[in-house]
Amino acid sequence: MSQSYNRGLVEDFGRWREFSAGMWAWVFHKFTGWVLVGYLFTHIAVLSTALSGPAAYTGTIRTLEGLLVVRVLEVGLLAVAVFHILNGCRLLLVDLGVGLERQDVSFYASLILTGAIVVASVPTFLAGVSL
Amino acid sequence: MSERYSSFEPGGRRWLWQRVTAAFLVVVLAFHFFLLHFVHHADEVTFAMSAGRMETLSYYSLMVLFLLTATFHGVNGVYNALVNTGLSGRQRTAVKWTLVVASVVLIVQGIRTANAWAGISLV
Amino acid sequence: MSTQLPQEPETESEPETDAETGSQQARRMREKAERRERTRTEETPDLSDEETRVIKVFRYDPEVPEKQEPRFDEFHVPFEKGTTVLDALIYARDTYDSSLTFRHSCRQAVCGSDALFINGSQRLGCQTQLGDLDEPVRVEPLPHQDVVKDLVVDMDHFYEQMHAVDPFFDPDETPADPMVEQSQTRANREKIKTSTRCIWCGACMSSCNVAAGNNDYLGPAAINKAYRFAMDEREGSEKKRERLEIIERENGVWRCQTQFSCTNVCPKDIPLTEHIQALKREAVKENLKFW
Ligand code: HEM
Ligand code: SF4
Ligand code: FES
Repeated sequence: MSQSYNRGLVEDFGRWREFSAGMWAWVFHKFTGWVLVGYLFTHIAVLSTALSGPAAYTGTIRTLEGLLVVRVLEVGLLAVAVFHILNGCRLLLVDLGVGLERQDVSFYASLILTGAIVVASVPTFLAGVSL
Repeated sequence: MSERYSSFEPGGRRWLWQRVTAAFLVVVLAFHFFLLHFVHHADEVTFAMSAGRMETLSYYSLMVLFLLTATFHGVNGVYNALVNTGLSGRQRTAVKWTLVVASVVLIVQGIRTANAWAGISLV
Repeated sequence: MSTQLPQEPETESEPETDAETGSQQARRMREKAERRERTRTEETPDLSDEETRVIKVFRYDPEVPEKQEPRFDEFHVPFEKGTTVLDALIYARDTYDSSLTFRHSCRQAVCGSDALFINGSQRLGCQTQLGDLDEPVRVEPLPHQDVVKDLVVDMDHFYEQMHAVDPFFDPDETPADPMVEQSQTRANREKIKTSTRCIWCGACMSSCNVAAGNNDYLGPAAINKAYRFAMDEREGSEKKRERLEIIERENGVWRCQTQFSCTNVCPKDIPLTEHIQALKREAVKENLKFW
């Protein structure tokens, strides 16, 4: 073979329309995992304002929680966390070799449950914030 | 054929710990969300309330363990994702140590914060 | 698992004698000659009174100037119930363009040479019914492998990974009497049954997102091969340990992200993800023993 033709990336994410359940689960799990670590670092950074004293901490949190954007982002975080947890449980089952034939069903179930939990939590998450 | 695989580090240990921490995190993360958004509300957070919780040894140790496992799980997940893409050699070593340093900073900062609430002063 | 429709009764009942095979061969040659004749006399065969389908086939040949730029060629092929994608390709090659290149041999999902990327999914040409696909049917070479020419990809890397797991039976001791069978229990046979079906087509490896990004990853087929022997109770204990060492290296089982792509495309319905997961657990168990 003198030469060969490499088709490059078209064949990977260019094919997203053809992804199956397992592939989507992986993409979402990856995305949510990265968001969660990102949040973990931010979270500790914000909380460590407590090191500069009670007033600084309470002030920072109150200001942040008073912002609608922050509250909306928190709903997003909940969605991300719930999906990661539910799909994480799905993955743990897959690792144990349980229900592999139904892994697509359990992925759809994770999605639906995530949606339901998030919708149900919106009032609580947005409570006490003024526009 | 075996020499094609440069690394003999069996990824199995990290794989297992990723699952073990995941199983622990399911419970603790759900508890954490529930406690701080449903039992207490986001707009009522105060230093005193956080301090009140942290002064209990069981809560304090649970939160430190939460921090440790979440950091391991999250950072190891990121590292793993990069290894999956075939990251190797010097680049890989650099990424690895950057992640280790970031984790240590995160854990130290987290514990200092928890200590501030719990009223523990080390230095 | 044969996927072609049953042959017409008369061919099926024909005794398989040498003479018969000879005449079949002769018949095929005659048909081929007729087709060639037809192509020469009329530019395109008249398909107007037949049901036809359109296939779009990937073309590329680094050695022919006009084909260095990859493109898709459209072919109209006759269709009847039972026509497979491979049949369509063969028709297109024999009728329109003899330079159309693809691998095939058994035409019954046994040899593993015609794994192709058909309408966005890895399938065997001979196992895929044209009638089940949306038109136009896109036929491309397997993704993530270098294209040598048209639908032919370079399989060397895939074979290397297959060989890397030592895909052969290696018991500790063989019976003194060579006439004695080395039998295995029924339960053990069941356990490895599906893993023995691999035909080395490479569809799974091609569908795997991780294998695409990391050339050192053993890939589903090789790991399945390792499973086939490691889980066989007749395997020697020393060999089993060696095999587990191979698959538990960094680019062995741990790279599997349980995307199930391989399991979805395997034409022999091998539960690849299940086998990979079983080996992960087996490796962890072995390691825990040593701690
Ligand atoms: C709450 C329960 C959780 C469960 C059950 C869980 C489960 C899992 C599992 C099983 C994996 C491995 C996926 C794989 O390698 O195939 C994973 C990956 C990951 N997790 Fe979690 N996790 C949880 C919480 C968290 C938290 C709190 C964080 C953030 C700090 C996090 C960040 C990640 C990241 C970054 C990955 C790697 C994603 C990737 O593949 O790129 N997870 N999780
Ligand atoms: S495991 Fe299935 S898809 Fe993979 S090479 Fe074997 S037969 Fe083909
Ligand atoms: S031609 Fe042999 S598998 Fe399709």
